[in-house]
Amino acid sequence: MIKLQRAFVTGVQRAESREDLYPYLQNAIELEHATIPPYLTAMFSLKPSNAGIARLIGTIVRQEMLHMTIAANVLNAIGGHPQTNKPEFIPKYPGPLPMSIGGTGFEVGIAAFSKPLLETVFMKIEEPEHPIPVKRALAAAPDQYATIGEFYEAIMAKIRALGDRIFVPAAVERQVLTWFPRDQLYPITNVETACSSLEIIVLQGEGTNTDPMLHPGDPAHYYKFGEIVAGRRIVKRGTGWAYAGEPIPYDEGGVYPMKANPTLAGFPRGSQARTRAEQFAYNYTSLLNALQRAFNGEPAHIDVVIGLMYDLKVMAVALMSTPLWDGNGMNAGPCYEYVTALSAAES
Amino acid sequence: MSYLDSPRLHFSGFFQADVSTINNDVRYYDVAAFQPEYQTLSLGDGGGSWNPTGTGVFRFVNCQITGAALHGKTLYVQSQDPVIGMSLQNADGRAPGKLVDLDPQQQAVSQIWGMQVRLTNGRFRALFEGDYLHAAFINLWQRQQSGVLADQKLAACYTSVLENVQWNGDADSPVLAALAKATEPGWLAIDFNVFGYGRDPTIPRYTLGHIVGTIAPYHRTEPRHFAVGRQIAAPLPADNPTAPAHGVYSFTCKVDRARQVVTADFGNSLPIIDANRGLVDIGTLLLGVLKQNPTALLTSVTLNDFINLGQVLYRQTGWYQQTAGIQEFPYGSSDGAAAILDDHALVVLRPHGGDTFDVLVQETLGGVYVRADDYVLRLEPGETGGVDFHASCYGQPLVGAAISVAANNDMIGGSGAGNNPLDPPVVVPDVGIPTDGVRYAATVTTGAGGTAHLAIASRPGGPGWPRGYIEGQLYGIGYQLAELPAGSSVNAWNFLSVLAYSQTDMPSDITWHGEIQPIFEQFGNLYPIMSKHLVDLSKYESVVEHRAILKLAFGLPRTDPNHMPVTRDMASSMRDMILKWLDGPMPRGTPAPRVAVPPTAVAAPSPAVQLEPNQTQGKSAFLLETQARLAQRGRKP
Repeated sequence: MIKLQRAFVTGVQRAESREDLYPYLQNAIELEHATIPPYLTAMFSLKPSNAGIARLIGTIVRQEMLHMTIAANVLNAIGGHPQTNKPEFIPKYPGPLPMSIGGTGFEVGIAAFSKPLLETVFMKIEEPEHPIPVKRALAAAPDQYATIGEFYEAIMAKIRALGDRIFVPAAVERQVLTWFPRDQLYPITNVETACSSLEIIVLQGEGTNTDPMLHPGDPAHYYKFGEIVAGRRIVKRGTGWAYAGEPIPYDEGGVYPMKANPTLAGFPRGSQARTRAEQFAYNYTSLLNALQRAFNGEPAHIDVVIGLMYDLKVMAVALMSTPLWDGNGMNAGPCYEYVTALSAAES
Repeated sequence: MSYLDSPRLHFSGFFQADVSTINNDVRYYDVAAFQPEYQTLSLGDGGGSWNPTGTGVFRFVNCQITGAALHGKTLYVQSQDPVIGMSLQNADGRAPGKLVDLDPQQQAVSQIWGMQVRLTNGRFRALFEGDYLHAAFINLWQRQQSGVLADQKLAACYTSVLENVQWNGDADSPVLAALAKATEPGWLAIDFNVFGYGRDPTIPRYTLGHIVGTIAPYHRTEPRHFAVGRQIAAPLPADNPTAPAHGVYSFTCKVDRARQVVTADFGNSLPIIDANRGLVDIGTLLLGVLKQNPTALLTSVTLNDFINLGQVLYRQTGWYQQTAGIQEFPYGSSDGAAAILDDHALVVLRPHGGDTFDVLVQETLGGVYVRADDYVLRLEPGETGGVDFHASCYGQPLVGAAISVAANNDMIGGSGAGNNPLDPPVVVPDVGIPTDGVRYAATVTTGAGGTAHLAIASRPGGPGWPRGYIEGQLYGIGYQLAELPAGSSVNAWNFLSVLAYSQTDMPSDITWHGEIQPIFEQFGNLYPIMSKHLVDLSKYESVVEHRAILKLAFGLPRTDPNHMPVTRDMASSMRDMILKWLDGPMPRGTPAPRVAVPPTAVAAPSPAVQLEPNQTQGKSAFLLETQARLAQRGRKP
């Protein structure tokens, strides 16, 4: 069961003012962001022959972006200021997720797509509080940990307790409200809209206790990853569920041979890989800088973020096509590092 | 004020130009004849050339302030001014700039679009930052003498301005303070030289080249894309504008009477050994002023014929990086120089032995010169644009001078990539037809300030589709002073390149198969990095899925780095049609095709081109074609 340090849940429960909630909503933004680099990398690493799987992961990535935006909008709605433009905003990969998500020893890295990666890492991140059995049972979490769902439930409970008075009337102008369906991303003005938005995060990630589907044919993240691992879509079987639907073909050769957990420092200075990795990191940093503006009073700036996002994909593909000449046939990969100055390129 | 004024910052480092190379061959625009192998990497003839998955990104890489000039002093270590060693970077909050050819049939005016330039010292993210006004390179020449296979041995320079310049923070730098004070608020002049560009995918320098440049004050009355001054023009063979007769290329000087200094820009005029090993030692070079103005191109002079203004210091270690090739020659103590400098020709000389000196380059005959400020135009159907000419005589405005203007397509056209046969064959379209596609006066006369505006109008409805499978038409327009001393050496790159867009009439019913798919398929063919990894533009479902991002990108202004198409070669009317279709109902499921009328290609003779081994691609191929054409037509400069 996915778990985070219970201290974060109890911290939320002890909040007495909207200001007390700010750090926890910032935690939520960081948490939702933290899964994007690993998911994106897995998606980027798939060649066109695996476009079907890439598309499925893409829907998950987009929802994580939605979740990050919702968390930022809620923080804005109660007068807080999201911050995305600092080195600490990006988790260290491989390393623990924010709030020790996943428990002691659970680390998330940057790696090319593989079914074991989805099964042992991504599904663990997205694991619901009470997974609906679709094949196998799962171990229970120790008491010192809570689930992501519990964390958001605690925030919702606190928002309800503090009431509509914590919402800042003019804050709607600071909220990002484009690029996602209107029924999923809408102005947050009161307890009701804040809680229904946060509910979307939990629902899309974990599903409900009784139904893995968000909509017919559209399962929650955990089950969507499960589908890819099983190689079949999830379908209802009697009273339960099974990965027994339409096949999801997987071409094992259709993955770039990316060396896991690339870092800028790990590529030789002056190498093609280093130059391209720096370009990627620079662009990623630019994206976080642009996001900072979008989340802090210039919501139209989200269009610039989207432009950077698309450039990022192209750069990632270029990077993953760049040989390391390491004797193992491996290629370079994206470095999610916050850079302020590029190091030396040599000829 | 221009980049030849003081104070100046000089920078040095690398640039990346990750250009896509499939669109270097105009014949690949023919969707009906396109083959999958045109998208594959190829270092010989055919295929997708040396970077088929290029993104178009242009950016600075590891550029640092390596020198500065203030009050006549050259600064190059941090103890002299903290600006030395600071990092010159691009945008840190939006997509990087893009480098794009005007057209496959005009690859010699590649423009940088949407780039920001930012000076940072780590503590302040932008001591200044500004938007680079899109500009094309000029003065392309065979500067690199040797190098690895597939090196781009041609070099060029970019001259432009930074707009919307904002200053932040305080670096306690006298140079920066003086620069901020000297320049027009919100503006800076910027000039840089690019060379040593690598096209071999197996070397680290792949898609990278060297850059050295200058940032200096700008005044809004000055042209933006060149410095008005003394024009030292290299003699060029009639059929090859890239090979100066004596190995030194044209450059500009500026005489500052108040400071009694001649400032000369050698940044793009001295040959380099190879990509990485600096300037070729071509012997002692002197800048001099002739005591008597010549009436023809000189090959040698004697000691009594000139006043020596000083040695060009290009052989000093670090000189090029620390100065970007710009050197000041104080003439106050040169006997007699001040008296004759205003109207006597400048020359670069090399001692030949005894009292004799070789003349490598000399100022234009009579000191006269004309340049169009911006020389690349994109015109919508019916649109009137124009250029501003600046005529000068020994650097002073030339008032009342007639400038002759006429069609000249010598430097444009061809396939862009040689004439290797394709299967199926594709005709290379003619440029410059219909001849009345753009209209302009045959003569303009300079007024006060030596300037004249030439209006250039695309005819209503545009040029039609004279090139068949590729939109728009290219027009080359030559210009020159009507009265030019006999025997003058002119810069063959001083002409105007106009892309006149075709008109797309908005159909009442825009359909995928009828209008949109053919456009997108061509786009997808030419930019596989996008079509294979972002949006498969040839597939209806993929386009529908990504309609939001396509709407954003097609709707962005041309100056935005994310503007689509990246090549900036699509007419507004076509983009409007695409945007209208993207706004439409777009049912799920591929609609049925309807029979489309194929465009008709025009027949055009293509000159036989002997491409040199190893230089069969990109700009080299484009130039070799140009040379073949010039030789065929017996063109005289």
